Parts: sequence; structure tokens; C-alpha cells
Amino acid sequence: MTYLVAAYAFAIAVLGGYLAWSLLRVRELQRKQ
Amino acid sequence: MTKYEKGALAAVAAMVVAAGFIFLYAPTDALQGPVQRIFYLHVSSAIAAYGCFAVVLIGGIAYLWKENVVADRLARAGALVGVVFTTVTLVMGMIWAKPIWGTYWTWDARLTSTLVLWIIYAGYLMIRRLADPGRQAARFAAVVGIFGFTDVLVVHFSVTWWRTQHPGPVVINDALPPQMLVAFFVTLACTLFLAAVMVAIRYRIEVLMDQAVEKSVPAPVVTPTEAGRVR
Repeated sequence: MTYLVAAYAFAIAVLGGYLAWSLLRVRELQRKQ
Repeated sequence: MTKYEKGALAAVAAMVVAAGFIFLYAPTDALQGPVQRIFYLHVSSAIAAYGCFAVVLIGGIAYLWKENVVADRLARAGALVGVVFTTVTLVMGMIWAKPIWGTYWTWDARLTSTLVLWIIYAGYLMIRRLADPGRQAARFAAVVGIFGFTDVLVVHFSVTWWRTQHPGPVVINDALPPQMLVAFFVTLACTLFLAAVMVAIRYRIEVLMDQAVEKSVPAPVVTPTEAGRVR
């Protein structure tokens, strides 16, 4: 069970983190323009 | 709320649905127990990464053929998202391997070729970051992206070409019970949607970054003599 939780926690952190970061980056670049 | 934020929200909702299928609908594997549920996102992420690298391949060919900036931006977007999904595939696979094989890593053909795939496209991204933006960097990166795709084929067929510790294909070999198959296809569809949204957002970032670079380059100064020559 620990391995299952660790695997999905990692996936959520990477995919969710990347998605959130890319949305923030779009906002930042659009504001600069 | 922008269309990108709406797309991201829809992708998150789709992944929540996929999680419902993985944890509530799919039965627990009799042999491996709950840890087998890693399979659904592990394999879906690998397929999403293949798709992203196919975008790099098509974008690279289109750029070399027509010098199309859109194709180059699409290739750049596909490479980054593909590396993200390959990272998820590799790490989830390693975590799954520990309780089943007794080790996080083995230099098996499937694992090694996947690591090489990650290195190739990480190299592609490094070329894009380190080289001066322009025609030469785009052409060089397109060549790397096109030849790099051959490793996708090596990764995919490694389990049939060599004797590997990694299991062979289970979905096309009908080795899964129907409920697991449904959970897998739902997860796959949701993951592909997430990947498409990520590529679209990254494409927008590439457009905005290109526009910022164009703005920062000073316009050429034309002297009256040169202007006369042009005329």
C-alpha cells in the first residue's frame, strides 16, 4: 500500500505541479505583453 | 478564466474520474495486491509520452520541409510534455518494481531504453535552451527529434526483441479481465486528454516567448542612403 501511495503521490506532484506552473507562466508572459 | 485554465480544469476533472475507475472500479489483483493499480497510470503515461514524441517527430519533419515556425513550436511543446510523462512512467515503474522484483532498478532492455529516451529528449530541450534561438538551433533540434523517435520503437518492441524482466504487452494479449481493461482505457483516454491540454498550454508559452524575443531585438536602423538603395 505504501508503494501505491508513493507512486500516485509522485505522479500527482509532477503532473499537477507542471500543469499549475505552466498556467502561471502563461499568465506571467501575458501580463508582460 | 482563460480557455487554457478551462482546459486545465477539465483535464483535472478527467483525471479525478480516472482515479475513480482505478481505485473504486478496478478489482484488486489476486497476485500482486493493491500495488498493481500503479499499472493504469504507468502504462497510460508511457503512451502519452509516445504521443508527445510523435508530435516532436511530425513537427521536426514539417519544420525541415517547410521551415514552418508553428511546427517548430509544436515540437518544442511536445518534447517538454513528453519528458514530463516519461519521468512519471520511469519513477512509477521503479516504485512498482521494488515490491514485485525486489529492486527499484534493473538494466533490463525496456527500462534502459526508456531511460535513454528520457536522456535523448532532455538533450533536445537542452539544445533549445543553450543554443541561440533561430534557424540553426531549430534545424539541429528537428534532426535530434526525428532520430530520437527511433528509440520510441526500441522501447515499444524491447519486450519482444529481447528477453526482459519487464512483462510483455498485457492489453493487446487479452491478459486483463474486462473490468481492468475498462479502467485502463478510461485512464488512457483521460491521460491523453491531459497531455493534449499540456501541449496546448506549452504551445501558448512558446508563442508568447517568441513574441517577447522578437520585441527585445532592436529594429534595424536604416540610413537615408540605404533607404535610397532599397528604393
